[in-house]
Amino acid sequence: MKNIIGFWGYPRKELILEYKLKYKDAQFIDLDIDYSYPKLSLTPDNYCVIIKNILNNAYYLKDNLIAILAPVGKDKCDSAYFVSELLKKEGFNVIQSIFEDKCPDINNLKTPISDSALPLKEKIELITKNIIEQKDYSTLPKTKAEFGFWGVPPNDLEILNLFPDNTSVFGWVRAVEAGYPGDFELESYAKENLPTVFFCQSFCSKNYLAKYLAQKYHGLYIDIDSTPTNSAKAKIEAFLKLR
Amino acid sequence: MKNFEKIYIDSGTTWTKILKVDKEKRYEVIKTSDFKKQKNIKYLKSTGHSLSKEKGIYENELIALSYGARKYLNQGYCVLDLGSRDIKYVKFENQKFSQMDWNSSCASATGATIEMLLKFYDVKNEDLKFNKEKYAITCGIFGLERIMDDVAKGIEADVAISKFIHGIAYNAFNFVKKEPKICVSGGFCENKCFLDSLSNYCEVVPLGRFVLVDGLYEMDNLNNYI
Repeated sequence: MKNIIGFWGYPRKELILEYKLKYKDAQFIDLDIDYSYPKLSLTPDNYCVIIKNILNNAYYLKDNLIAILAPVGKDKCDSAYFVSELLKKEGFNVIQSIFEDKCPDINNLKTPISDSALPLKEKIELITKNIIEQKDYSTLPKTKAEFGFWGVPPNDLEILNLFPDNTSVFGWVRAVEAGYPGDFELESYAKENLPTVFFCQSFCSKNYLAKYLAQKYHGLYIDIDSTPTNSAKAKIEAFLKLR
Repeated sequence: MKNFEKIYIDSGTTWTKILKVDKEKRYEVIKTSDFKKQKNIKYLKSTGHSLSKEKGIYENELIALSYGARKYLNQGYCVLDLGSRDIKYVKFENQKFSQMDWNSSCASATGATIEMLLKFYDVKNEDLKFNKEKYAITCGIFGLERIMDDVAKGIEADVAISKFIHGIAYNAFNFVKKEPKICVSGGFCENKCFLDSLSNYCEVVPLGRFVLVDGLYEMDNLNNYI
């Protein structure tokens, strides 16, 4: 039975709305996330784990998928573009989306979740969940940020538990909350003098940006593949404690 | 047996470093395999790869290193800890933390490999002398292959191992981004060949192998001074 709409990244809002209206009973599933479905080893071993998740999820759910809403622009990455094209060839109903709108005023954004006092893991889960739900969180209490987390939602969200609640969110996740996932300036935004961990998934092309920004803002650059090593966790802990 | 008031443990892959504090401080090094056989040791704080991360007791190694070497970090030295299987460093700027890294995966060609080579070729640590040549050992396995090939060709084992150690020193120097002043912590402080090799590239200050247990002691006694 086809009752699932798969997506990754942040498909254009009007596309989400169109599919919400068209398939009122369908369930939206974020294919970026690891649901522990069988691992297919379709990609080379040294490949972005998020893309591996997309493939594992898509093939596992294939019989139930109505469509896949597939961001392929600067709001996602080239790997997603190639995956979308290959999935089309394999019979998936893939609807490509490009969400590269420029943010008109970087200093006047609504990012209540990113700046809230919620635990960091909850912040990031809520922002990604809200891609589909589009609820208003403007009444969330703000916190004075003592630390920053920059990047994408990690494959293993457990590392987010290392951060205190007064950690603000930056990078692609903040850009998503603001509604401009493909805006480079917004994605590159971080705060001077705010100790920030610049995180990237291994094998992702954003690694250069993460490292560049970490040097610029005297932060900690860290890349993690599927799950964090003890040394990766220890580096984050030490950075948060020693800064 | 004397009962010490406070015990601090740094249990590495091969060696466990112990600091016992009563009216005086006493340091000990024992094999980690022997340490694991000991039951009922009550310690105040611990660190190291071989111990479980008990909440409130375990401290992460980078933090223990930073506390233990604070005096040198505040003087602008980079502090490098080279262990049996990993390599890590911390650097402060203007007496504040600025850089660090920890590689526990690709630094396998470190202490444990040297100990294995010395045993395998029946060479003593003190027989190793700095050799201006070095093996490029981005991978420990390839480094071992070079040693075995060269020994098979007639090069003395101690010479080959010295070149290997020079390669490790050069890698360590690159790992800390070619810092001009490096303090070395860990078992390599007792390896003159390593210290001489590293001195080829920068100023070197050996701090000994008890920096992490000293750090635990400092953390326990002086809170939040970094």
